[in-house]
Amino acid sequence: MNLKISALEYVEEVKNGNVSAEDFVSATIDRIKDVDERLHAFLQVNSKAVEQARQVDKKIKSGEKVGACFGMPISIKDNICIKHSKTTCASKMLENFTAPYDATVISKLKQQDAVFVGKANMDEFAMGLTTEFSAYGPSRNPWNTDYVPGGSSGGSAVSVSAFQCVASLGSDTGGSVRNPASFCSTVGYKPTYGLISRYGLISYANSIEQIGPVTRTVKDTAFLLNILSGLDANDNTTIDNGNQDYLSEIDSGIEGKKIGIIQEMMGEGIDPAVLSATNDAVSKLEGLGATCESVSIDMVKYSVAAYYTITATEAGSNLARYDNLRYGYDFPVEGFEFNSYISKARSKFGPEVIRRMILGGFVPSSGHAGKYFLKSLKVKSKLTKEVNEAFKKYDYLVAPTVPILPFKIGEKIDDPVALFLVDINTVMSNLTGIPSISVPFATSNGLPIGMQLLAKHNDDKSLLKAARALETTVKLPEVPI
Amino acid sequence: MVTEEEIEQVAKLMKIDVHDHKEFVEKVHDMINYFDILDSAGVEDEEITMKDLPLSSLREDKHVPFEDKLIEKLNNYKGSYVRAPKMV
Repeated sequence: MNLKISALEYVEEVKNGNVSAEDFVSATIDRIKDVDERLHAFLQVNSKAVEQARQVDKKIKSGEKVGACFGMPISIKDNICIKHSKTTCASKMLENFTAPYDATVISKLKQQDAVFVGKANMDEFAMGLTTEFSAYGPSRNPWNTDYVPGGSSGGSAVSVSAFQCVASLGSDTGGSVRNPASFCSTVGYKPTYGLISRYGLISYANSIEQIGPVTRTVKDTAFLLNILSGLDANDNTTIDNGNQDYLSEIDSGIEGKKIGIIQEMMGEGIDPAVLSATNDAVSKLEGLGATCESVSIDMVKYSVAAYYTITATEAGSNLARYDNLRYGYDFPVEGFEFNSYISKARSKFGPEVIRRMILGGFVPSSGHAGKYFLKSLKVKSKLTKEVNEAFKKYDYLVAPTVPILPFKIGEKIDDPVALFLVDINTVMSNLTGIPSISVPFATSNGLPIGMQLLAKHNDDKSLLKAARALETTVKLPEVPI
Repeated sequence: MVTEEEIEQVAKLMKIDVHDHKEFVEKVHDMINYFDILDSAGVEDEEITMKDLPLSSLREDKHVPFEDKLIEKLNNYKGSYVRAPKMV
């Protein structure tokens, strides 16, 4: 069984009767059993997946209408609710939480006959960019298991990269889909804010986070976007995309387009291999008929500080619900003194979550809000203006997804400020709401490098065309696991 | 410059009680010091942009029945009452 096919190839194979959904899902579960001890991409594996795939085969045989996914095995980041399934956010706080309802993205995928093979590992409450902050242990990079797979949707990217599923859903608050996609050599997509419903995504920083697909190809991302995008009455931040077909005209190329190379994302601290790959990407984009030139977006320098300030503030508020009265784990019901009760409840949070809660209490507090939180909102406004100004001149922007190569597990875990800087190229699209995509582009010493393309607000269809064009210029080695 | 005492006070107000207190405070201190970069952004005169959300875009405020009995998912309940830990 060839598990290395793309989502679109899978659909064709099952549609044409060359392979059954049951056989493919069964082989996928075997693959998970075979490699996940080394990779730890999954927190739970769905024991009913093969049976669910069998039901899809029955529908196909009986001539019933079958959804567009045809039993496709998909993994889901563990902060997205699947009804009657554990959803832990990789936290001890939600160790035994079973979701009572489906997230909108899950309902949509179920309607299209997707099969969920399992819940993917992540940094606790999506706070981190290495998956090392999972309370259940880190995921490992399939390109070299001594290295981090990126995060926070590390399990999602690992599972797609290591053929433990065909596609995955992650969530991206500051790069959490694109960063692991870059580190594991998969496609990772952060859509325009509001394009995909967040209903059923456990909140971290509502004003900027988005659910996004992780796939093997750009076309697979377009395929999933067709299923997942659109208005949702349960999330009033969703936008009307006019039922766009993201797959149509995806091969139409970028001839005559103008592309800005963001200077602030290629400056101090960039790995020479990443810089060289970016220059190569620019040459290839020019070879496809685009014109590339440097552009400066001054506020990028302040974007990481603004991002952490805003997200910590929102997280501080969102995490208040984990008080063991509304959400949390079971406590004995004997008497507690109020303060000690809350402290005891919160002691199950991991170190990064606690750090961000303290930050989230500090930066918007009386006497400090003007210096930190309000100033961050101003940086966000000015950054948005600068980005909108750049898009008056350019159709797309380009920069490496992450300025450095994947690093070893444990290498940066004790230095939060060093970790901050890994985010510098990805937070801009979250703060401004624009779409961005990481496309696998190169490898250096066996470690992947992803290239990031960005487009203006709600120009997702055009962005996917550019990503597809870049993808056609790349030939990468196969993942060595 | 933020002092460690200020951070400790915030942690206390947020009822966060951690074992290796000193290490947490030091790391949060480093993180907040990094945020001082915001002072050189020159955005003092910038307006904060907000997105209006018209009431018409909110869903209708009506009861939607839920098929499962959520209370039965709890370990401690009696009838329609939730039993929460006693606090004094």
